Amino acid sequence: MERVLRWARRRSPWVLHYNSGGCNGCDIELLDVLTPRWDVERLGIVKEAAPRHADILVCTGPITLKSREPLLRIYEQIPEPKWVVALGACACSGSLFGGSYHMLGGVDQLLPVARYVPGCPCRPEAIITALAELLETI
Amino acid sequence: MHTLLTLGELLLFPGLAYLVTVALLLAWVDRKALAVLQGRVGPPIYQPLADLLKLLGKEDLDTEGSDARLAALLPMISLACALTAGLMTPVGNHAVISFEGDLMVTLFLLSVPTLGLFLAGWIVPSVYNMLGGNRSLLQYFCYEVPLLLGLAGPAALARTWRLAALMSAQSAYHWHVLAMPVGFAVATLGLIGKLERVPLDTPHAKAEIGAGPLTEYSGRKLALWRLTAWVQTLVGINLMVAVYLGGADVVWPYWGFGVYAVKVVGYMGGLALVQALYARLRVDQVAEMSWRLLVPLGLLQLAVTVWMGA
Repeated sequence: MERVLRWARRRSPWVLHYNSGGCNGCDIELLDVLTPRWDVERLGIVKEAAPRHADILVCTGPITLKSREPLLRIYEQIPEPKWVVALGACACSGSLFGGSYHMLGGVDQLLPVARYVPGCPCRPEAIITALAELLETI
Repeated sequence: MHTLLTLGELLLFPGLAYLVTVALLLAWVDRKALAVLQGRVGPPIYQPLADLLKLLGKEDLDTEGSDARLAALLPMISLACALTAGLMTPVGNHAVISFEGDLMVTLFLLSVPTLGLFLAGWIVPSVYNMLGGNRSLLQYFCYEVPLLLGLAGPAALARTWRLAALMSAQSAYHWHVLAMPVGFAVATLGLIGKLERVPLDTPHAKAEIGAGPLTEYSGRKLALWRLTAWVQTLVGINLMVAVYLGGADVVWPYWGFGVYAVKVVGYMGGLALVQALYARLRVDQVAEMSWRLLVPLGLLQLAVTVWMGA
């Protein structure tokens, strides 16, 4: 039973995308991943619209103080088991916004992050590699 | 012995196990065909199964302020109705239940999941759910009449409301789609509306209202809703193949099932093509298209059929 579930979870990761205050660069790279050129549906990855349908929360941008509450609520709405991926330099560490008066910093200041994808913006190959690596660990 | 046989028909073939398996395969055909049309590789064949199992194994959240028992009951009722409808539509040459008027009963059973979907959206105090539920009910009023008119044409021509008789009538002369292309188009658009597929997918327009009536559902409930949608797709296509495309032609008696399967997959591919070609219509455009265009066309087709047949 446990093995069947693990098989299913590895092959059907549904992704929810949230921009917690980034510049939109990484968002566009994430959407790129769904296009014919990269086609992550091969791996069963689908972008879902509702947090309650998702398995993986992909977060782009540093966390602003304003987006702290919504991000927490979205994370709490995702049913277990769930993982968080930090996309881009800002989401990983806060990058050049780190220490700013209205910023909390990287995503790991608030949520447990399973995979970091650096880059400004991160490349689609890097996103796919990170997601595939994450699926290996499930 | 007879009871055992009936039980086998209900649970294995062409009942529960068969319907669910084929519905999963058909969902894959749909996604794969769309991917190929868009120049992608597409998901592997086990994808819908993996999705379903994963959802069954996920945490099942109850929304605060909603009726938990009703929320759990609705997908079960909807799935049961879709599966029951599956028993009446012919699989190959054979349907478990067949009687005069089973076409109407199938249509009625297929509309229960839509009402369930509306209720599922209504009982949750969330804007997206409620809007999605309302839209799915509005769409129900738009597609049900064209679908019925579209399916009434062949029934009027063959002078029967029985699916098996409709199928055998077609192998006597020709497919109904050749005689009534307009009725076929109207019924197909009605079916697309019923299945809430692009271009008539306003009830769960992602960019506008999240995931529509199912926004707040997760885990097992969501799995059952997905399965309901897939079974509904299979049954709807079965219905169209039986009424318009000749079902399993009796030209080759031993190949009936193969012929039928090819037709079902072909029709699914056609729906995927429509999905790839067109963008979503607005809510008001759906209503306008259905009542200003599809209903008159369907009525015209029906009138011509009755006039020619008389």
